Amino acid sequence: MRNLELRAAIREALVQEMRRDETVHLFGEDVAYYGGILGVTKGMLEEFGPDRVMDTPISESGFAGMAVGAALMGLRPIIEMQFTGLITVAMDQLVNTGAKARYVHDGAMSVPMVVRSPHMMHGNAYMSQALEAWFTHIPGFKVVTPSTPADAKALMITSIRDPDPVLYVEHEDLYGVIGPVPEESEGAPLGRASIRREGSDVTVVAWLAMVPVADAAASELAAEGISVEVIDPRTLVPFDSERVLQSVRKTGRLVIVHEAVRRGGFGGEIAAMVAGSDAVSHLKAPIQRVANPGVPVPHAKGLNRAVLPDEDDVIAAVKRALD
Amino acid sequence: MTAAPHDSLTVEDLREMYRIMLLGRRFTERALELAWEKRLPVGLHPSAGQEAVGVGACYGLRPGDWVLPSLRTTEAFWTRGVTVLQMFNAVMGNSGSINSGKESFHHSGYPELGILAGTAMVGAQIPESVGVGWAMKMKKTDDVMVCFFGDGAAGRGDFHEGLNLAALLKVPVVFVCENNLYFQTVPGTVGQPIADIAERAAAYAMPGEVVDGQDVLAVYDAAQKAADRARAGGGPTLLECKTYRFMSHYPLMLEDSRPPEEVAHWKKRDPITILGRRLEEMGYQDAATARAVEDEILEEIERSFEKCAATPFADVSTAFANVYAEPLEDMGP
Repeated sequence: MRNLELRAAIREALVQEMRRDETVHLFGEDVAYYGGILGVTKGMLEEFGPDRVMDTPISESGFAGMAVGAALMGLRPIIEMQFTGLITVAMDQLVNTGAKARYVHDGAMSVPMVVRSPHMMHGNAYMSQALEAWFTHIPGFKVVTPSTPADAKALMITSIRDPDPVLYVEHEDLYGVIGPVPEESEGAPLGRASIRREGSDVTVVAWLAMVPVADAAASELAAEGISVEVIDPRTLVPFDSERVLQSVRKTGRLVIVHEAVRRGGFGGEIAAMVAGSDAVSHLKAPIQRVANPGVPVPHAKGLNRAVLPDEDDVIAAVKRALD
Repeated sequence: MTAAPHDSLTVEDLREMYRIMLLGRRFTERALELAWEKRLPVGLHPSAGQEAVGVGACYGLRPGDWVLPSLRTTEAFWTRGVTVLQMFNAVMGNSGSINSGKESFHHSGYPELGILAGTAMVGAQIPESVGVGWAMKMKKTDDVMVCFFGDGAAGRGDFHEGLNLAALLKVPVVFVCENNLYFQTVPGTVGQPIADIAERAAAYAMPGEVVDGQDVLAVYDAAQKAADRARAGGGPTLLECKTYRFMSHYPLMLEDSRPPEEVAHWKKRDPITILGRRLEEMGYQDAATARAVEDEILEEIERSFEKCAATPFADVSTAFANVYAEPLEDMGP
């Protein structure tokens, strides 16, 4: 199997689905002529033309609402929010017009749209936000958080074909990650976690760019004789709670890692799932959460590092769990 | 003088427009009475006084066209074929409601009649309508989208973003601003530094027109011309229909904040009376036939309400259905 960058894997999924289905349209800021600020959609304008790959004005609410209307009429729009922070401008259209349309039409209408939400966690306090937990809170939305090139491709295909609105989270740190990607893919089901590394002492649940961070931490810990199981849920809605619970029953220790703010983050939801299940009786230590402690993401490298989780934070949390 | 679009309407068409406006008025009045008596669970945001806008803009539409009503475009529902019983059921929220009671009547969608469910977020329907128009254009149909909103929506960012996108993409959308001169309780002058919202069309390089919203045939003419242009690929139009609501924003809760003499002034320009008078002048209606139309409407309203009152509420399991196409597996224990 050939290797691809994650960025190219996403593009391959977009191209494949746009070739397969002429109702799939892509639009957003700088996605067409320039090929996306982060290069994900390069070359697509040339293949599909300006009706299907379209640059929009700086109108996040406008083109998000437009995507909802187009989806209601049977198109399958994919919109790029450029950087996740920009999604705040489009929340009404996504949360109200989009996510509720199926329900208020009592199932008679669908909104098959994908919202690409690229996390860029260094830069500025506005763009650099990890807001996936907001969408897990919205009935009607699904939330997809891939960390490998193969998953990025398969889950994008599934997201495009899904009849409901999907928040598809990308991560700038992962765009250059290289891995095997099948040329042919019919997608992969949502709600299936992946065990990135098997282990017996501590379960670490991490997604997006925190998966390689957790994995690197696990490698270091392995050298100290600590066996860490790393679980990548791959999608937060739907969430594969069973896979996490099984692991916790085995290890008795749980560390959850995300870049989003800890308070109200999805890690709290995972902790509550464990606390409300039989797996709680297997816990040998309090659940640890490694996350942004609750500050806007700072610009300077040193400050930025201090706020966002890194390998050392994960190692420290695992050791706390083992104390 | 070139022929106006309404010149080709038949006597039956004109009588039907009159009937729909009168139905809208009488339904609103009766539904409010029933709400006061607590026989309906909620009141209405009455369209009384504004009936000509919804009827005039929707009457000439075709089956493939879509509309997105505002809070107060009750007449779009009537004109596109929603029945009195369906409307009562929707207000009641019972199992006969198009959405099984999941959403209120003014946010109800009737896909088979080309009506999308509106939103409570004033103006959010504007970008959404652009997307509907975009899909129509991409599918190479000659359908049109008619998007209704009030004057308050013209202060929202979505108005600007939506009209800008619509003009850029030349989508087949007719934007119908129902300018009733008030944002809930405050006059439009509080929120608009200009007299005519239609002026803003120029900023988007689209045609904009001020229309007499009390004259259903004037609205019809403007909407038909805009729809024809849209069907021919000429892009969107902004119509600003000057109108007035005859009741408070939400009579069950809010007293009317407007000067009584202003209300009285506008009531002299009742859209139903204006069309009724024209029908009389043309010899198509007299006191007796008008009475017969009214009696039939009143009778249908009472009959429909009885049926509505006898219709059960949906089973509570309905509340949990159709959040997603397929129910999600349990999120956790």
